[in-house]
Amino acid sequence: MNKLTSKHRKLAYVIAIIVLLIPVIWLGMPSTGEEGSGGELAKLRVEHELGESTLGDVDPSSASMNFVLLGLRGIATNLLWMDANEHQKKKEWAKLRSTVDSIILLQPHYMKVWDFQGWNLAYNVSAEWDAVEDRYFWVKEGIKFLNEGVTRNERFPELDWKVGNLHGQKVGRSDEWRLFRKFYKVDPDTERFENGPDPEINPERLDNYQVAKEKFLLANEKELKHKQHLQMRMLFRSAPWHAQFDYANAMQREGKFGKQRTDAWDQGFKDWTAIFGREEFISPKGPIVLEWSEPDIKNLAKRDNVSEEDKRYWTGRYQNMVNYLFWRTRAKSESESDTIDAHKSLYDGEQLFRKAEFDEAKAELEKGMALYAKVLNKYPSLIHEDLAIEEGLQAIILWRYIHELKGLKLPDSFPLKPLWIKEQGRVPILESELRQRFGIQ
Amino acid sequence: MSFDPIPYDLFDALKHFLTVFGSTMFIALIVCLLVGVLTRGVKGIGDVFLGILDFFNQITHLSCRRIWSLSTLTIRESLRQKILFVFIIFAVLFMFAGWFLAGAADRPDLQIQSYIDFVLKAISWLVIPIILLLSCWSLPEDIRLRTIHTVVTKPVYRIEIVIGRMLGFTLLGSAILLVMGTVGYIWINRQVPESVQANLVSKVPIYGEIKFTDREGAPSAGLNVGDIWMHRSYIEGATKARAIFTFKDIDESDAINDELNLQSSFEAFRTHKGNMEKGGILYQFIFVNKDKGLRVDTAPLINKEYLENRLKINRKIMHESEDGKEKVEVDIFDDLVDDNGNLTIEVQCLEAGQLLGMARSDLYIRTPDHAFISGYSKAIFGIWLPMVLVIMLGVTISCFVKGPVAILTTMTIVLVGFMSKEYMAEILSGKMQASGAIEAWYRLITHMNSQTPLPDGPVKFMIQIVDMGIINFLWLCQQIIPNFGIFSNMREYVIKGFDVSWDAALLPGIVTVAAYILPCLIVSFYSLKLRELEAK
Repeated sequence: MNKLTSKHRKLAYVIAIIVLLIPVIWLGMPSTGEEGSGGELAKLRVEHELGESTLGDVDPSSASMNFVLLGLRGIATNLLWMDANEHQKKKEWAKLRSTVDSIILLQPHYMKVWDFQGWNLAYNVSAEWDAVEDRYFWVKEGIKFLNEGVTRNERFPELDWKVGNLHGQKVGRSDEWRLFRKFYKVDPDTERFENGPDPEINPERLDNYQVAKEKFLLANEKELKHKQHLQMRMLFRSAPWHAQFDYANAMQREGKFGKQRTDAWDQGFKDWTAIFGREEFISPKGPIVLEWSEPDIKNLAKRDNVSEEDKRYWTGRYQNMVNYLFWRTRAKSESESDTIDAHKSLYDGEQLFRKAEFDEAKAELEKGMALYAKVLNKYPSLIHEDLAIEEGLQAIILWRYIHELKGLKLPDSFPLKPLWIKEQGRVPILESELRQRFGIQ
Repeated sequence: MSFDPIPYDLFDALKHFLTVFGSTMFIALIVCLLVGVLTRGVKGIGDVFLGILDFFNQITHLSCRRIWSLSTLTIRESLRQKILFVFIIFAVLFMFAGWFLAGAADRPDLQIQSYIDFVLKAISWLVIPIILLLSCWSLPEDIRLRTIHTVVTKPVYRIEIVIGRMLGFTLLGSAILLVMGTVGYIWINRQVPESVQANLVSKVPIYGEIKFTDREGAPSAGLNVGDIWMHRSYIEGATKARAIFTFKDIDESDAINDELNLQSSFEAFRTHKGNMEKGGILYQFIFVNKDKGLRVDTAPLINKEYLENRLKINRKIMHESEDGKEKVEVDIFDDLVDDNGNLTIEVQCLEAGQLLGMARSDLYIRTPDHAFISGYSKAIFGIWLPMVLVIMLGVTISCFVKGPVAILTTMTIVLVGFMSKEYMAEILSGKMQASGAIEAWYRLITHMNSQTPLPDGPVKFMIQIVDMGIINFLWLCQQIIPNFGIFSNMREYVIKGFDVSWDAALLPGIVTVAAYILPCLIVSFYSLKLRELEAK
């Protein structure tokens, strides 16, 4: 067919291979990891953050699994999800956990999988167990699972936020919060963790809200580079500072009214006003800051070429969105001795009530109610916030109940009466909650 | 535990087999006679009976030596086809299994389940497909290459060729299984942490029958708390509601060191938080012997959910006399087991407003454990059985179709047998509404829901006629296709730490495989006898 000998033909092939190799190497040489190394495609991949390694840690088993399955990843994933649902339905928890791990091998960079399954483990599976120790174990499993998600996906601030939320809200606000917070510092598996916390959850032996704050701060840091799609930006960025308030508030809930609690509120006030309050957020009329002074408004209005009224209007609106002024006032008021005394008296009153020392409880509650009324008079904006209202109402309900028990006539006038009259709508629900909590028949 | 070991009814199974097998043979005989008469006239009738006689003649004159030679030939051929390469995949799987399994729940007792599950699944998923390919491919390939002539020209019965193939593949598969099973066993032992090595046993349970009473003490089916999985029924706390377990034929041999071992895994359902710090809901067992009028309570127990609640009760229990004045000693096996050998245990939930859920398998008497190898080897046997069944089906099918078609057919049968038996049963039992294929299609295109009756008329008549035909065909498939699900049950026992039950798992498996031996031999014998071996 052609006149070339076999030898010449082979030589021609070799030359063709060498010639073709040049563009292949130029284009496709893999990167060594150093900046600027590798072929053109590798450089472009790094520049546009398209490589898998730029998404987070690459798990070799995950990569090999996807490779082996060729194009059948979708089918395999669907089957595994169906399996996971079936295992959950039949309460086969070990199988559920390992199936979820297999799903993750196939979908390591799909944020919703981490989000859903982390929540599923920490909330749904945890609630299926009866013993609080077991529930806490599954909350930890949820946190560990999401932690893994964070290391594999560096571009999702949402995942860090979710981790923070599990440390904060799940541990600190569940029905079992008292035991959860205890287990957070001393794991129920005392033998394995030597009377300390699980190092994967709480390596520095901190409070759960302190850890939550750290995680939220990480989320905020990532959010500067990668946009989050969880909630309004301002709400998202307020999370660490709320964790600080929750930290202070949790001490109060546990009856700790010492310096540590006051310092925590103080720190909360500083964080809220000096860091969060000074952050710029974009409004339809340009950037605004939540903690503002007259010169701030003037300067911003001048810089963005809009009217001062517009800036004031949008600042006020944004402040309302995050309840800025309430938290500012609350944090400030919590450092004052009257507020501390009010909380302490109300807390002591509740404890005495629990011990059925009704006369002492009545006296403490009356003292606390009077002080609390004083605080509310001084900071009227507190009267619009759920937590503050409920604390006052709870005290009045218990105080009234003591009167009922002792057959005493309720006085016509009592501290916090305006609050009681104004918030009558909340009373039935609160009453039933208190009945459950105190075992009142 | 999520499975309910129900004893197998051997007599019923045998009756069913004889009905299906007998009627199929009868229909086949009628068809053969008809075809014989139509093609050869009266002589055809004699030929058919001669053909039947030929089968009996061959099956009664089998030569072990010839079968053994054919088996060794099959093994040699398979080895030449590099079947042992399967060990490379096996080795790779086990080398990297740690990557895939290490992330499972950080709880050694749950981790054991993942390890055992992985080993048994890996072995069956490797062995069964490979054996399926080999058994389906071998005979058609011999016919295609005409190497079969070197065998059929020798004084060898056709039935011996079939048996030789089946035996050869079975021996080869058994050897592979043995090696893999041994490696798997060592791997599990090495992976399981020392702290839970004690859990690596095969528990031998005795299950009872369960009945419920409601809050007034009247018989009931137990409460449903809205769980999607309706496996368990619930009893209400601090009422007369009870779950009554009756264990049959209980005697001293069921005790361990003179103690009765009761193991339970009840589920709690709280209607209020209650005391969360206690670790579980309180319940108690009450031993009842109606013959002697005895009711003996245990102390209140705390239910640990999803964990093994093991209660060891000394056979001698101190019990308050009826008047409550003195303590009397009762012996569980002498005084509490009734005259018929039954031990009745009532379960009572002690907390008001809380519920305790249980199914038949949630309370059992634990008799002396067997070693883990006992359950594990039976689970491997549970892989061996479907493997043998696949070999029989593969070789049989390959006797009348070519290799690729044989593979597809066998694979379809195996997949349907593994996955769709329950679905088919649901259609055939009438549980599934509007399940006819044509009816479903009609409803789909006319947007009609399954509750609305079909409009009367010729269309309905036609649909019902065609659907009846399809359903009858499905019934036939249901009878013919083996239930491979029976075999995977054995794995579940070992995963959950039990010895594989003889009458609920092993026996149905063995009987299922045995039921296919004769039909497969008959079909393969006649296929090979009638097949033109010259055709490629």
